[in-house]
Amino acid sequence: MKYMFLIFDDEAAEGSRGEDLMPAYGAFGDEVTKAGVIRDGNRLHPASSATTVRVRGGKAATTDGPFAETKEQLGGYYILDCKDLDEAIAYAAKIPTAKFGSIEVRPIWEM
Amino acid sequence: MKYMLLIYSDESDPRSAGSPEDMAGHVALAREAISHAAYVTCDALQQTPAATTVRVRNGEAVITDGPFAETKEVLGGYYVLDCKDLDEAIAYAAKIPPAKHGAIEIRPIMEIPGWDEMIGLTSPAPAAR
Repeated sequence: MKYMFLIFDDEAAEGSRGEDLMPAYGAFGDEVTKAGVIRDGNRLHPASSATTVRVRGGKAATTDGPFAETKEQLGGYYILDCKDLDEAIAYAAKIPTAKFGSIEVRPIWEM
Repeated sequence: MKYMLLIYSDESDPRSAGSPEDMAGHVALAREAISHAAYVTCDALQQTPAATTVRVRNGEAVITDGPFAETKEVLGGYYVLDCKDLDEAIAYAAKIPPAKHGAIEIRPIMEIPGWDEMIGLTSPAPAAR
């Protein structure tokens, strides 16, 4: 089953998104590549670059900023194909940001 | 530039369950994006009771049921589209069916040289499991 791993951290915190994390992300990338489970993954620009769109009464209304103000913000994601939730949790715990942020694991609908 | 379009809606709102009209709207949107070479990927997520949140503290994985944050509207799916600018991304966002009752958050994706290689996306596609 495919799972989405949403990576949240406090983007204002020191070291949260620094280049020093890149080797650890590189190692995680190597592991999920060798295991053949990686399907997608991306890093997002900071939440200050977000735009939120709602259509009401047939009109699109846009607001600057993310949908919700939270202490931790979405900074990126992976899609991994895991055999079960236990395997997904094991991978989530290896995402470098898990050590100071939060990883939300969501199963994807198979359609 | 690639943009992630995150779809938030209230799971307790019957409209968030996805009507046949909504599904037709998603198909029409995906086809439009494909015809403009803007489509990258999309997925629908199972509802948040199926979510698990993982944090590692002092070397131990701490696992909680449910999503990272309790919000009235929750993430239900996403598109990744390659758009020429934010205006085009907003135009696509407004066509996502749940935009009519929920909210679509648009996030530009970082272009990191060598990223796809780093996370193994350029290696041959592995067999489906």
